[in-house]
Amino acid sequence: MRQLRNGVFSLNGREWSLLVACILAIIVFSVASPYYATSGNAGTVLRNSIELLLVGLGMMLLLAMGGIDVSVGVVMGLAAIGVGRALGAGVDPVLTAFVGPLTGALLGLLTAAVIVLGRVPAIVGTLGLLGVYRTAIFVLLGGQWLSGLPTGLTLLLGTTILGLPVAAWVIALAYLAVWIALRRTPFGLHLLAIGNSEEKARLSGIPVVKIRFATFIVSGALTGLAATFYVANYRNVEMTVGSTLALDAIAAVVLGGTSILGGRCSLVGTVLGVLLLRILQNGLLLTGVPSLWQPVVTGSLLIGVLGFEVLSNRLSLSRLGWASK
Amino acid sequence: MNRIRKLQGPALILALLALLWIIVILVLLVLKPSVFSLGTVTTILQFSTILALVALGQAIVILAGGAGIDLSVGGIVSLSAIAGMLAMKLGLPSFLLPPACIIAGAALGAFNGVLVTKLSILPLIATLGTFFVYSGLALALTGGAAQSGVPSWLLIWGRGVFSGIPVPFLTIAIPVFAIAGIVLMWTAWGRWIYAMGFNERSARLVGIPVDRARLILYSLSGVLSGAAALISLAWLGSGRPNIGQNLELESLTAAMLGGIAILGGRGGVGGVFAAVMLLVTLKTGLLQLNVNTVWQVGIVGALLVFVLLADRLSQNWR
Repeated sequence: MRQLRNGVFSLNGREWSLLVACILAIIVFSVASPYYATSGNAGTVLRNSIELLLVGLGMMLLLAMGGIDVSVGVVMGLAAIGVGRALGAGVDPVLTAFVGPLTGALLGLLTAAVIVLGRVPAIVGTLGLLGVYRTAIFVLLGGQWLSGLPTGLTLLLGTTILGLPVAAWVIALAYLAVWIALRRTPFGLHLLAIGNSEEKARLSGIPVVKIRFATFIVSGALTGLAATFYVANYRNVEMTVGSTLALDAIAAVVLGGTSILGGRCSLVGTVLGVLLLRILQNGLLLTGVPSLWQPVVTGSLLIGVLGFEVLSNRLSLSRLGWASK
Repeated sequence: MNRIRKLQGPALILALLALLWIIVILVLLVLKPSVFSLGTVTTILQFSTILALVALGQAIVILAGGAGIDLSVGGIVSLSAIAGMLAMKLGLPSFLLPPACIIAGAALGAFNGVLVTKLSILPLIATLGTFFVYSGLALALTGGAAQSGVPSWLLIWGRGVFSGIPVPFLTIAIPVFAIAGIVLMWTAWGRWIYAMGFNERSARLVGIPVDRARLILYSLSGVLSGAAALISLAWLGSGRPNIGQNLELESLTAAMLGGIAILGGRGGVGGVFAAVMLLVTLKTGLLQLNVNTVWQVGIVGALLVFVLLADRLSQNWR
């Protein structure tokens, strides 16, 4: 219960150490590369974080529920194709912005139908769907890039309201909505209860199927929203779109202190995890590490954090005089 | 109909797979009669050697339960092939290339096993992480370039054909599956693996060293992937850093299609072997029909989803 009552702005130990890690990384890279500590680069890091902040939010909900989705990268790709096609066809930009979340939510519904109704383990089911969606992207793109799209959506990044870009407002609203859903509605309690033990949640009368469906759909919609920003940002969609997005999202969320076993999640931690990941990736690139190394770094970070967690837990348990196992 | 209904477990799965296989072959024959020559059969067997070994590793890891899964198999195949070739460039005598690949595979698999058993990280997350690390390393260490210089004596073995059947298939795939089948069916170790998968708690209570067995199984999956890497080297003549691409999906599909229960404790290697033949026949047929290879991943993925759903639905009907 203590977890539920945590305030939004009171950081726990994990979140403080993430903040410190972000600052340390910035200092180290500023010393290592003359191009690093510029306002232009700070903008790049933040712009590159937009999609991951949204996809990570959805992934956080899924992991907290004891689920996972490794197909988020291609779901974003498919939604981006939808947005791009609508934009290319001259649909009003305001309407196009909604094509992304809508496509994402529909794909989330499909994923939920397979995983929840079929009672299939999420990892295997979404891996199969990943293959299907990857082929769908190829078929839709016909082997070519979708490129040179109109600039209609750029206002999402360029326009500012009260000094902050629209993207920042959208992300802040998304996080606020999820925070309210998690901490002020039964939905949040139910979601975390399912993550703790699906069996017990079912026995205590929680509508498990409904909540799991809703979470997959919300995650899909957030991924689709990320696709809208992706198109606004890059104005093209390539064949290999989002190939490491799932890994990035899972790594960032786990870095942020969300339990992969479900039942525990952290919004602030997710934001900090995303920022740390993007700061590291950008810094390594600027200090001359080829981008091919990025998945190696992200993967090692994921395993390292999880391993460290287990070891430090055991250490503190044995210090208290409890058996380590 | 009545007889089919009487078929249970492995026999039912084998019968269904054989039926599907015949359907696939018939459809291909109708679409393009020239598809099946002796050359095609050789190609199918050659392709299936690699997938068969990897799928066997995947199958035993899943069989042993504990939410076991090895998403890193493709990464292990790529990285062991690259590691062997790079070691040779650094002066390793060429006759040591085969053991180098196998040892690399074993080490990478053992690392997975340590993460899963000693650090008790969920297998799906641990191997998802190592999948990106291994396949990323294979690409990063080579800059994406294929590594040439496989010794010619290895090519003779890898490309050899004995009365239409590729030599690696005869000398590795068949013996390995025979041994795996015998061990699983008739030895105590096999019983242990089924017991672990069926009910881990009781397996621990009767004194089966579950953690050690699981560590060995992950290492074995690595060894099999290393062997698959070696066969790819001996066949293709160069080490490609992306040779293991999509193998995690294909091996999972083969294991599920072959009747391995996703939660462990149920299934046999015969079904896996049949599923591999079916998958590779399908893939080769599509290739012969000039269907773009991107379709393969979608078809395999759809097959995986379909099998998972069919498995659940059939349980509901019983």
